[in-house]
Amino acid sequence: MAGARSAVSFEGAAKTFGDIRAVDGVNLTIARGETVALLGRNGAGKSTTISLLLGLNEPDEGTVTLFGSRPEESVRAGRVGAMLQDTRPVPRVTVRELVAFVAGRYPAPLSVDEALELAGIADLAARRVDRLSGGQTQRVRFAVALAGNPALIVLDEPTAALDVEARHAFWGSMRGYARRGHTVVFSTHYLEEADAHADRIVVIDHGRIVADGTGEQLKRSVGGNLVSFDLAGQGTEGLALLPGVVSVEIRGDRARLRTDDSDATVIALAELGAIRGLEVVPASLDDAFMALTSQVLETV
Amino acid sequence: MLDYLRLEVRRTLRDTGFVIGGIAMPVMMYLLFTNLGGGDDGEWKTASMVGMAAYGAVGSALNTGGGVAEDKVIGWLRQLRVTPMTPREVVVGRTLTGSVTVLPAITAVLAAGGLVNGVRLHLWQWAAIAVLLWLGSVPFTLLGLGNGYRLTAQTTGVANMVCNLGLSVVGGLWFPLELFPGWLRSLAVYTPTNRFAQLGVSVADGHAPAAGGVAVLTAWLLAFGSYAVFAYRRSARTV
Repeated sequence: MAGARSAVSFEGAAKTFGDIRAVDGVNLTIARGETVALLGRNGAGKSTTISLLLGLNEPDEGTVTLFGSRPEESVRAGRVGAMLQDTRPVPRVTVRELVAFVAGRYPAPLSVDEALELAGIADLAARRVDRLSGGQTQRVRFAVALAGNPALIVLDEPTAALDVEARHAFWGSMRGYARRGHTVVFSTHYLEEADAHADRIVVIDHGRIVADGTGEQLKRSVGGNLVSFDLAGQGTEGLALLPGVVSVEIRGDRARLRTDDSDATVIALAELGAIRGLEVVPASLDDAFMALTSQVLETV
Repeated sequence: MLDYLRLEVRRTLRDTGFVIGGIAMPVMMYLLFTNLGGGDDGEWKTASMVGMAAYGAVGSALNTGGGVAEDKVIGWLRQLRVTPMTPREVVVGRTLTGSVTVLPAITAVLAAGGLVNGVRLHLWQWAAIAVLLWLGSVPFTLLGLGNGYRLTAQTTGVANMVCNLGLSVVGGLWFPLELFPGWLRSLAVYTPTNRFAQLGVSVADGHAPAAGGVAVLTAWLLAFGSYAVFAYRRSARTV
C-alpha cells in the first residue's frame, strides 16, 4: 500500500467552513524523510491543510492519512510532533518541566537534554516558559514538537514574528532535526524560507495546490527570464506581442517583460531600438510565486 | 497521567492568586470571624472551622475550571491534542488535579482551628472531617470544569466567583443558618455547599452524616457531572 510507505497522503481532501472552502480538493503525497514547505499567502488554506494533517479537523470530503493510518491514530502512536500557530506560552512551568512532560508522552522520546540542545535552548532549561522573549518562546515550542522524537514534525508558520537572527537560528535547528532522517512539513509565506530550507515547495492558493516542485522547477515552470529596460519616453503598446513575452509590467520608466525565450525577445527589442539599460535576469521565485497565484491578484 | 497531574498541580500551586485567594483567605476569614467580639464560643469555632474549610475547598475546586479556561485560550489543550495523550486522559487528569488542589485549603483551615483556636476533637474526627471534605469537593470540581470548558477565560473567572460566593453564603459556610430568615434557611439545606459542610459538621458533633444530606449532595454530583460532560463535549469540537 502506497499510503504506508509515504509519511503524508492527501486524497481529494476538502474542508469547508460556512461559505469558505478553505481546502478545496488537495492531493498530496510526502515521502518519508522529505522536508516540504507549504507556501501561500495568509488565508490561502495552509493552516487548514495542517489541521487536517494533524487530525484536529476532519475533511468533509476525501481522506488524509499519515503513515498509512488515520491522523489521530498516528498522533496517538507518537509518530507526530507539531508546533501550532497562535499558541501562547504555558504559564508557571519551566522549560525543562514542559519539555520533559511532553517527551514522557511518547514511546521513544529524545532525552530532555538532547531536545533542548537541538532546539538551541539548553541554557534556558531552568527558566519559566512565560518569562522568555518571543524568539526563545518559539524555540521552546520547537523543542516541544521534537521532544518525542516523532517521525513527522509539522510546523505551522514557525518563524512568524521572529527577527532575522532568531529566524536564522531556528532554521539551523530545524535542519539538524531533518538530517536525522525525519520528515518535516512547515508552512510559511516567506518565499526565501521555502526555497532555502525545503527540498520541495508546495504552493497553495485558494485551498488548492497550484504548484509542486523544487524552487528551481517552480522558477522554470513560469517561464525563464525577466527582461527589463528603460522606456525613455517610448510607448508600451505592442510589448506584449513581442516574441516570447508572457507578461508585461511597467514600473515608473522601466518595463519588465517576463519571457520564455529571452533571446528572441531581446532581438525584437533591439530592432525597436529599446535597449537602454537592458537587463536579462532569471525569474526569481518571487516572480514565480506572483505568476502562480496571479489569479488572486486580479480578483483582490 | 500522573505526570500530567504533577504538572498541573505544580502550575496551580505556583499561582499566587490561588495561594492567596484559595488558601490564605479562608484561613484569615476563619480567624477573623471566630475571634471578633470576644470569641469564646467553642461551638462556633468548630462549626466555622468546618464551614471555612469547606469554603476554601469549594474555591480551590472551582479554580480547576479557571485553569482549563486558561489552557483553552493559550492553546495548551490544542497542543495536548497533538501529543499521544487522549482527551479522556486530559479530562480525568484535570479532575484529579482539582481533587489534589483542594487539600491545602482544607488542611490549612483545620490546622488553624486546632493550633490557633484550640478546637479539640478526637483524632478520628479530624481524619474523618478531612477525608469527607476532600471527597465531598468533587461536585464542585466538576462544576468548575463545566464552566471552564463551556465559557471563555474571563467569564469563567466571574462565573466561578459567583458560584463560590453565592453558594458559600447561601449554604451557610460563612454565617450559621440560624441567622437566616426562615425561607432562606429552608432553601439553604438544598444547596450543595450546605450539604457538603454538613458532612464535616456532623462528624464534629460525633455522629455520621445524615443519609438525606448525602443524597442531596449526590444529586448535585450527578447534575454537575452531567454539566461537565456536556460542556466538554461541546468544546471538544472547537478546542
